[in-house]
Amino acid sequence: MAYKGSERMSIEERDYMQYLFGKHISQGQVTYLRTAHMDVYERNRKGATFTDAVSGKRFYDCFSSAGSFNCGRGNEAVIDALSDALDTYDMGSHLLLSENKVRFAVKLASLCPGDLNKVVLCATGSDACAAALKLAKGATGRNDVINMLRGYHGLQGFSLSANGKDYYKELFVPLMPGFHVVPINDLEAVRRVASRNIAAILLEPTLGEGGIHPATQEYMNGLRQICDEHGIMLIFDEVQTGFGRTGALWAMEQYGVIPDIMFTAKSAGGGVYVNGAVVYREIEPLVSYVEANPLFHTSHSGGTDLGCVVTGAVLDYIVENKVWENVATAGRRFKEGLKQIARENSDIVKEVRSFGLMIGIEYKYEFIAAIMSDCLAKQGLWAVFSANSPQVMRFQLTTAISQEDVDGILSGIRAAVKEMRIYLMLLLPLAKVPMIRKVLQNTKYQIKAGNWMRNLEEFGNRLFPRRAAPRRPRPLRAAFQRLRMRAGSTASIVRK
Amino acid sequence: MANVITKSAAKPNDVFQEARKVFSASYVEMLREKGHDFLEQGGAGSFLSDSEGTRYLDCYTSAGTFNLGRRNESIKVSFKKALYETDQGNIVMPSDYKSMLARRLSEFVPGNLDCVFYGVTRGDSMEAACKLARGFTARPEFVTVEGGLYGEDSFALSLSERSGKEQFGGLIPGVKTVPFGDVDAARKAITSRTAAFIMEPIQAENHCRMADSGYYRQIRSLCDASGAKLVFDETQSGFGRTGTKFFFEQLGVMPDILIIGEAMTGGMFPMTAMVFTAELKHFFDIHPLIHVCTFGGHDLGCVVAMAALDEYDRLGPWDNAADLGVGLMKDLSALAAKHAGKIVSVAGKGLLVSIKLATEDLAKKFCSSARQGGVLVNTGRVDTTTVLIRPSLLIGTEEIGRMVIVITKTLEEI
Repeated sequence: MAYKGSERMSIEERDYMQYLFGKHISQGQVTYLRTAHMDVYERNRKGATFTDAVSGKRFYDCFSSAGSFNCGRGNEAVIDALSDALDTYDMGSHLLLSENKVRFAVKLASLCPGDLNKVVLCATGSDACAAALKLAKGATGRNDVINMLRGYHGLQGFSLSANGKDYYKELFVPLMPGFHVVPINDLEAVRRVASRNIAAILLEPTLGEGGIHPATQEYMNGLRQICDEHGIMLIFDEVQTGFGRTGALWAMEQYGVIPDIMFTAKSAGGGVYVNGAVVYREIEPLVSYVEANPLFHTSHSGGTDLGCVVTGAVLDYIVENKVWENVATAGRRFKEGLKQIARENSDIVKEVRSFGLMIGIEYKYEFIAAIMSDCLAKQGLWAVFSANSPQVMRFQLTTAISQEDVDGILSGIRAAVKEMRIYLMLLLPLAKVPMIRKVLQNTKYQIKAGNWMRNLEEFGNRLFPRRAAPRRPRPLRAAFQRLRMRAGSTASIVRK
Repeated sequence: MANVITKSAAKPNDVFQEARKVFSASYVEMLREKGHDFLEQGGAGSFLSDSEGTRYLDCYTSAGTFNLGRRNESIKVSFKKALYETDQGNIVMPSDYKSMLARRLSEFVPGNLDCVFYGVTRGDSMEAACKLARGFTARPEFVTVEGGLYGEDSFALSLSERSGKEQFGGLIPGVKTVPFGDVDAARKAITSRTAAFIMEPIQAENHCRMADSGYYRQIRSLCDASGAKLVFDETQSGFGRTGTKFFFEQLGVMPDILIIGEAMTGGMFPMTAMVFTAELKHFFDIHPLIHVCTFGGHDLGCVVAMAALDEYDRLGPWDNAADLGVGLMKDLSALAAKHAGKIVSVAGKGLLVSIKLATEDLAKKFCSSARQGGVLVNTGRVDTTTVLIRPSLLIGTEEIGRMVIVITKTLEEI
């Protein structure tokens, strides 16, 4: 019998799963996630929420696996389509054509603006990134690429070389030569390196892992112009911004700027399968290059029969329900709420940035992010900070999120910020000392301290198991509340 | 009934016309040359169907993916059930699905390859292996052999003998390529700067080239002496294809890192893996989340893989592959002797068999003619004068017999 996760998991079962994960995959990862109470075991994955098998607690999924669940978790239309397809299809044969593959490609191209008419089937975001760069390099005969500081397109050879954060690269050097990193929204920086040696400019319309930095309209217009001047291919990575995430089917529509090449993945899998694709313009030199090299990128699991059925169903769901309309309204409401929270906590919050339902809140100190994840988890909000910008907590809810859920999440964030202030009461004054701040921002120490606290907490839980019976007021709890109140006043002092 | 294959209403010509527009005309032409100009419409058991309802004996199996046949019933049932219970899951989270599959794989794969990193597509896991080797050893260089084919991303491309790769400019630096089977060349190339020695122990796409087991043993000791890690890519030779679970078992040599392909899910879910020793896991312990992949370790994929591993254990298809492989090789060798002008040689192991024809054109004609006879085969991608025979490992003697008749006829026709 295939494995089936039981609805609830005892502490012992969880410990066994963590032991297995640590033994066979990575102990470091288990330890890392434990520090912020992020080691939950997802059950009842429905819409915008899931429950934790250990505590039974319901969580809002504010991460959506970096924007993989745009049509909601457990979307019945998508699941039924896959289930039906399993009666006829499997992955299908690599390199052969099928009606599923062709229909999907035609549908995808028809939903892209302008002359984005041609498709390359791919499996994942990094696979599609590799295909896009190969296409640009092969077609232009040029080697170099301009990519964004803190940009993120994956961690395989091509995408890793194009990663905008050294941390991910430095242990694996030497990587591919000829990547020029520039900060986003700085046209001058692009102009300085743009030349006839550049094959492509690669960017996400909004940096996702880089901390939710939307590109400005002026920047996009400028990039298009620079690319046209030098014969450079403009590549948009729409892996996180696509499928309705920003308030339009694709982010590029919001700008009215058509890239030469775009690629997508993540939500293409509908949360239940795997798929991705590159779409490129029907222009020279792209078309001639592909005609001359039809096998320039042959992704073995890209555009599988089942994958194409699933992505077709996802596109249908997104388009029929015009999810981008809800994204725009819910995104606005969420952003307004977060801005309010930011105003009330301007001593710790630097800025709120958003593009549709891609929302980031940036703190003034890097070490706050991990604590914030922890506090959010306690409030039933599962959120993750940006990989390439840890001081930014991001929220990528399902596109069908209701106003009530947005309000519920906002009040959770409010409560989490309040709790966070208790920690900050101690940490903020310390963080003013440069040396201590360095220690605080060191992930290693954070993990050690977090795990130590978690062990203490679990030890306490074992000594005094929580009862479901109504609780009597406890003296400790009262003291805790007093602390909270004092935290508020300390904060106001710090603000002054 | 589950095994009924539906006929499509669309006219194949219309669909091909659309394919020319949305992909490329040359792609469709390429298919036509090999007689692959039909629309696949699913499969069952040892067969696949086209949109007209014609059935073909699948001796391509998507390059060694459908080792348990097309759309294995038991995997399908588990997949459908799990589909309503779980989904992809959030990356970065540890999940019980990932943990349980990891345990299952460590039991399934022989030897001390107890740890795993989940990839998605063929080649993904090679990227991970290169990164792990460099990260763990803190050395920059790779040594590989000529004639390999590992994938489409840049680490894999740098190692591969893949036509047109120079079009992509500078790939990953630090790769030394040595002749296959040449111990002296390997000895010179492997130094204290070598992170890993990487090879397919049997080069499926290159006329199933393999060396005598002494070569692999010497490479192993060269790696041990220099501290380099030995990486075997068994994407095509794994999961019973060559007559044992993995080909390395026949060599008596353990790699430090093993790449396994989509046969892991029986071709129902895009999932591959890199399995490695506990020693190497230390790198992922001290650098958590340094290498992740959104679709890698997909919870649903884990369920599908576990169901497939159960089927592998229940059916032990490697025994069938070993038995039938011997007979098939005998039949093909006899045909090679008879058609010496057309066939250069026959090579392979188990149910991974390569026929080397006199020219590339002849190989394409072979594919086209075999399709007319109801057998789907494809050419090798490194040695394009070869045609590979890699059917489902659950194929019966009767089907093998039919295949040999078609091949006999094909050889007469071309």
